[in-house]
Amino acid sequence: MTKSRRGLVTTIFRYVVLTLWAVVAFFPIYWIIATSFKIDTQWFAWPPVYFPDPPTLANYLNVWLGAEQYAQTQYAISSQKPLISLMNSAIIATTSTFLAVTFGSVIAYGVSRYRILSDVRMFQLLMLRMIPPIVVVAPLSLYYSALGLLDSMLGLILIYFLTTLPYAVWMTKSFIDEVPREVEQAAEILGASRWRTVFEIVLPLIRSGLVATFLFILILTWSEYLLALIITKTQVTTLPVELSKYQGSTEGRVYGRQAALAVGITIPLMIVGLVIRKHLARGFSFGMVRR
Amino acid sequence: MARIELDRLHKTYGPVIAVKDLSIAIEDGEFVVFVGPSGCGKTTTLRMIAGFEDPTSGEIRIGGQIVNDLEPRDRGLGMVFQSHALFPHKTVAQNIEFGLRMKRVPAAERARRVGEVAAMVRIAHLLDKMPAQCSGGESQRVALARTLVTNPSTFLLDEPLSSLDAKLRRELRAECDRLHEELKRTFIFVTHDQEEAMTLADRIAVMRAGEIEQVGSPMEIYSNPVSYFVADFFGSPSMNLIAGALVHEDGGPRFRSAGLSVRLPDIYTTLRPGPVTLGIRPEHVGVRPGVGGDVELPVRLIEPLGKDTLLYFNDGTDRALVAVSEGLALAGLKSGERVALTFAPNRIFLFGPDGKRIRL
Repeated sequence: MTKSRRGLVTTIFRYVVLTLWAVVAFFPIYWIIATSFKIDTQWFAWPPVYFPDPPTLANYLNVWLGAEQYAQTQYAISSQKPLISLMNSAIIATTSTFLAVTFGSVIAYGVSRYRILSDVRMFQLLMLRMIPPIVVVAPLSLYYSALGLLDSMLGLILIYFLTTLPYAVWMTKSFIDEVPREVEQAAEILGASRWRTVFEIVLPLIRSGLVATFLFILILTWSEYLLALIITKTQVTTLPVELSKYQGSTEGRVYGRQAALAVGITIPLMIVGLVIRKHLARGFSFGMVRR
Repeated sequence: MARIELDRLHKTYGPVIAVKDLSIAIEDGEFVVFVGPSGCGKTTTLRMIAGFEDPTSGEIRIGGQIVNDLEPRDRGLGMVFQSHALFPHKTVAQNIEFGLRMKRVPAAERARRVGEVAAMVRIAHLLDKMPAQCSGGESQRVALARTLVTNPSTFLLDEPLSSLDAKLRRELRAECDRLHEELKRTFIFVTHDQEEAMTLADRIAVMRAGEIEQVGSPMEIYSNPVSYFVADFFGSPSMNLIAGALVHEDGGPRFRSAGLSVRLPDIYTTLRPGPVTLGIRPEHVGVRPGVGGDVELPVRLIEPLGKDTLLYFNDGTDRALVAVSEGLALAGLKSGERVALTFAPNRIFLFGPDGKRIRL
């Protein structure tokens, strides 16, 4: 076999393997999307129905708009309010993420430039995230009960803010570290105040990093389930909690509706990701400052 | 007025002493170069003047006023960094006008002055570009312009040329010199390159291990070094420094080392015998084919450079003895050939075991 021949075979083999892996990886996502367009009899049909036939919007209309005429009676869940949950999720996730990135980057700046936290403290901060959330759920709900924060937006915002803060500090610090000190000092000696330097020099330079951090934390808080389940009840339901209601002992497994909801949960994040993808590529490549 | 005085300036980082009781007065309009090997404290000294480092003790005075507690921006200085430190997200023009904006200069005035300095350092064609599109030399010119435009009383330059290649370095060196001539401002320039120091400075401060070893004009430093360190640091090719001993023979002082024995001037008659290092610059070693002279040595290597010829000799040490002879007259010597060398007597330096120059 000639050299180029062998190269070709290797390339084909590589593509076959990667394609197979892609199919395995993407199949569940496809399955959710397909299921969301299936009529109820096809949800658990055996042999499986791979393509919805006929495709229907009934699941979406029922879940998101509560349109009763599309509800097959035995699967209708009357108490759900997914649009309100969507709004709750949006408010809670964006507010807590905004807080985490804002405070996180301020702390990170202090650590990077003034070493307000030693390396040990920084590691301890990250260690906080290594505690499984289930461990703190019980004491947390006691605290929250005492403080009257149970089942409130503020309660969720606070806990999301605090639990994602370590990530925010660590991620933004790595971006701030990339900004050479001399660039800041050049601004200072040219007459810029500390704040001016931060706003006019540092922030624009780490913008992509901040955006990447924002999205990363938004994904975490948007899809958080455990804390939302425990410390909220009926007043403040988030989408992940809403989603879980479609699979319970009383309702059975309402796959079509659940899939329609799942698709709806995913789409906003994908839109955000697409809008800021230019920043993401730069933010995650860490290469925005030329030395 | 920008006379800068450093008075017993001291800086420690934990147990490490970076700058040790350093005192120097820099006159208004003077071009002073701090030179020394890396880690000698020269950059730390400059950064203390700029206000980026707080001295552990000692005073910094600018125009008579103590500035230890002043912010960098209130000291009326301009600084050019080794890394250029341009603002990567601003165009060249925005970079240059930054200092003026901070001083709330009106837009029309800013534009005029940006144009002026851009012309002065010949970067008018770059104004709309981003720093990433500029070459190393262009970036450094932008950095100079950005400092120039604010019209500081003193320019601090921290190894501004060391990131450039040799040709650009020469070019920008000339530029610095020209700017100093035109502006008549104080320049404090830090470098580890002795050639830069020699060509630019009115006065050189040679630093070593946090202390100033010698201050003087380039000529003084070159022709009258106070120590082995200074003698070795300046000059290219560097001074011949041969370890040996001073002895008294036949009623006169002689220098003896493994490979040579040289008669010393009579002024050393009173000196006690003992270990010394003899120093003599390559241009003060006379070379003549044949026998005689102070010493005869075999040629090891000949480097004809055109204007000069460098000759290397075996003198029994690791470091070859170097002589420079003008033109190419001696370029025809054969390797291994023995020639006569004469050491210009009034150009011989002796250094004691402590590294200090022995003066009588």
